[in-house]
Amino acid sequence: MSKKNRAEDRAARAAEARAAQQRAERRRTIRMATIVAVGMALVILAGFLLTRALDTSTDVSAAPAGASEHGVTVGDSDAPHTVVVYEDFLCPFCGELEAATRDDFERLAEEGELLVEYRPFNLLERISDYSPRAVNAFAVVLEESGPEVAKRYHDLLFDNQPSESGPFPDNQDLLDLAVEAGAEEDAVSEGILEVTMRDWVDDATAAAIEAGVQGTPTVILDGEVVQGQPQDILDAVLEATD
Amino acid sequence: MGWLVLAARLVVGGVWIVAGALKIPDPASSVQAVRAYRLLPEALVPTVGQLLPVVEVVVGLALVVGLLTRTMAVASAVLFVAFIIGIASAWARGLTIDCGCFGGGGYDPDAAEKYPWEIARDVALLAGSLFVAAVGHRGRWALDHVLFRRTPLES
Repeated sequence: MSKKNRAEDRAARAAEARAAQQRAERRRTIRMATIVAVGMALVILAGFLLTRALDTSTDVSAAPAGASEHGVTVGDSDAPHTVVVYEDFLCPFCGELEAATRDDFERLAEEGELLVEYRPFNLLERISDYSPRAVNAFAVVLEESGPEVAKRYHDLLFDNQPSESGPFPDNQDLLDLAVEAGAEEDAVSEGILEVTMRDWVDDATAAAIEAGVQGTPTVILDGEVVQGQPQDILDAVLEATD
Repeated sequence: MGWLVLAARLVVGGVWIVAGALKIPDPASSVQAVRAYRLLPEALVPTVGQLLPVVEVVVGLALVVGLLTRTMAVASAVLFVAFIIGIASAWARGLTIDCGCFGGGGYDPDAAEKYPWEIARDVALLAGSLFVAAVGHRGRWALDHVLFRRTPLES
């Protein structure tokens, strides 16, 4: 064998060894990357199971519709389906829910398909005292003028809902609206202007929190929390009562 | 260059860790924040709201310690693009929501003033993520250097 051939042979073997080493290294890299990626996926899965368990948004054990002292009901008490709505008069999403669902809920209630109970409470006092004042006014109207006027008042409060950034209606505005809903001014004026039913407001709020309500609106259809956009909630109710 | 990549990893990863860790204890709020964007069908909303904080923490930790650095930088960039689209679309649709970036979420009357800053912040963090992804260096003190050690070629 010539010198030249031996040199070429050596170079070829060296190149072969290098290639083999690179192949082995690539295999090692892929294996290691796979192990790390699978490890991360497992950590994410474990974390997901944890947050899933921590998500209490559907853990609400509310009194059935019609069984609360802090609400107003629409419909027959023996209707086959029930809806409970926890809401705050200041909460914008509650206003949207009202706009999206009121007509259908009223129709279903009239047809005897649905019993709806609205439970206003004070969630947003940190934004404005309008929230507890409005619930107080609602309580006064409910007590003095009965559920039908209170339901109309409830509707009017949402139809005239202030923005969360104000300006907020004062107690005189709340009284005017109550009169518009059909309350007798003499019967409700002191209660609304002097905020006399603050205890009722606090009891209603405590009951909502006790039930596990974390935000508004919280809607419970036949004992189960329904989540989603107003349209999703309406669809769920329409489907149930279909 | 190594120090620069490390700095980008620490900043972007640190933000992810904080953003995710603040949300993990209260997934109900996280779900609510996702829902407030009104972009995803309700069937996906709870899962995304529960999963996102965990993914954020894991991506953040991986970037900080330099684990699968470039892949995680790409994941980070994808998430930032998604968030920028989400905030921009909320802004464009006139929604006034808290971005829920660091917990919270839901309605926020002052949202319109905050959107530009939130988008600017996310664009900066997106740039940091893309820098780490694009540069062919994992930066100083990356676990990748240990796990994926290159054997020097015999010559």
